[in-house]
Amino acid sequence: MPAGEKKSKPKKSAARKRAAQGVSLTDALAEAAWSEADLALAQALADFDEAQTADGKKARKDALERLGQALSRAARKRGLTRLKDLEEEVAYNPDAHELNEAVAKTPKTVRIQARGVTRGGEVLAKPRVAPVNRKKRS
Amino acid sequence: MSDWTLCIDFGTAFSKAAVAPSGAWSRFDPATLRPLMLSAEGQNAFLLDSAVFVDEDRVLFGRAALNEADEQADKKRAALRSFKTLLSVSDLDRALNTNAPATIDPHRIFQMRDLIVLYLAYLLASIERAILADPTLAQGGTFTRRYAAPAWRSGDSAGMHDVIVRLFGEAEAFRAAVGKRILAPDGLSLRAISDALPKAMERAEPLEMGLIFEATAAAAYTSVGLEGSGSHMIVVDMGAGTTDIAALARLGPRTIELPEARVTLKQAGDFIDRVIANRVLEAAKWAKRQDARTELWSTLMRQMGDIKEAVMADGRATLRNQGRSVTLSLREVEKDEDFREFQKSLRQAYDHALAIVRDDARARGRSEVQAIAVGGGASSPFIQDLIRRKIESSSPRVIPRPATPDWAHAREFKGNLAPVFPQLAIAIGGALAPDSMLAARGGISPPANDRSGIPVERD
Repeated sequence: MPAGEKKSKPKKSAARKRAAQGVSLTDALAEAAWSEADLALAQALADFDEAQTADGKKARKDALERLGQALSRAARKRGLTRLKDLEEEVAYNPDAHELNEAVAKTPKTVRIQARGVTRGGEVLAKPRVAPVNRKKRS
Repeated sequence: MSDWTLCIDFGTAFSKAAVAPSGAWSRFDPATLRPLMLSAEGQNAFLLDSAVFVDEDRVLFGRAALNEADEQADKKRAALRSFKTLLSVSDLDRALNTNAPATIDPHRIFQMRDLIVLYLAYLLASIERAILADPTLAQGGTFTRRYAAPAWRSGDSAGMHDVIVRLFGEAEAFRAAVGKRILAPDGLSLRAISDALPKAMERAEPLEMGLIFEATAAAAYTSVGLEGSGSHMIVVDMGAGTTDIAALARLGPRTIELPEARVTLKQAGDFIDRVIANRVLEAAKWAKRQDARTELWSTLMRQMGDIKEAVMADGRATLRNQGRSVTLSLREVEKDEDFREFQKSLRQAYDHALAIVRDDARARGRSEVQAIAVGGGASSPFIQDLIRRKIESSSPRVIPRPATPDWAHAREFKGNLAPVFPQLAIAIGGALAPDSMLAARGGISPPANDRSGIPVERD
């Protein structure tokens, strides 16, 4: 029998003991997946405080910029992706969109006000949309 | 007891390993994959720091080596890292027989070969510990081993296979001699090493290991379950030092690389880091004095991973230095002349490789070519644009594949495999790939009365 295909018979007691003490694969994957996201979230909390206590408009804008950046990083580290583009105009689909305004008539076209969030094809948050009022625009 | 395939990804910064049931390729079930928890420290148990530090009277490994190197940085001491770069040089024997520099080994007793063997022994011991801690794998079984390596850096990865397998063999003999002591947080004493290492070098343990090219491992995790449609593939691998393009064709049970399609560009992640840093320095008008520029440069380098990711994924990044904020947009990076030159070369290289793989697919009556980006730069918009570009002729079609395959989102992993998949991808792909995808097999011939079992604990 080739060495690389060696029969492996570990000492059962030791193996079982370690297995009993060990973390499950899913838990370890979760901890690994969260480790970098945690750092980004911690950063986001600090940036949020700075945005709230900022003295001038510029300082507030900078802090908000960094807050958004840290939140985006946390989301990426958790495998989340954004759906659609801000300001994009799309045909309204009540199943796929969350309408931000009360409307008397179902809109045909809507503008993306907040992007949706997905993970692995599963939609965690639908894009938030507002009706496009063609008459008002012209 | 089951049969398993173990793949080691001996990475530049981290080593990773994964196990899949033998035959997983034809009966694929994501839930049966077992990435190994190699590290006993840190929050990411799957990444083992590739580092060795030679201290006054001991040698430290992994995270402990890096911590000690940090402590002693002011004494001009450093840990040995980037073994992978060393292993990819064209004259490997000569590189291995070179003495380690004084910053790495102040005693001047180790050659590079010795330090690599010591690290591999630590890696093998960590693998054994991980297998024993895994309730499924600890039940035992047959483990077939292989390792992943880049195919193109030296142009002769397969030719170097015997040398690498011998290093693993020496490491296995050393590990068996020193037992679990190699995993101690305070490392191994120089005395223990000088007693055991020469003997281990002389009596290398017989090992049978396969070699899988990294591009093939990427092809494996991308095309598993795709059946016939995964017959041809173009892989763009943007790492730190190089961007490599390779084309692969699956012909019946075999996977071959189309060598005329292979292109390596010297610009990659490190090059983009420099472009970003230079653009930020240009934008930071307030940093005029040399000391302010040096301070900004080191801040940039410390945060470069996050900055680059934000520029590429969000279109801009803001960083703060000395109380001021500076924002850099992707558009500004794209204006950089060197960057534009790189993009042009990348497009030409990709088009060249794509034409070859499409010709081959067409000649064999195949209708599709899969395009995949791997490595640290896989999600960069210009790389994604490259593989998603519309091409003039429609046959064979080019199908862009996501860097993280859909199956990594399987419910069994509760959403936790996909975020770490890019780090573990090569080890997982290497474990999934059928034997027919291996670039080389074998190594040192085992004797008839070979000892059995990899996961055996010794004291």
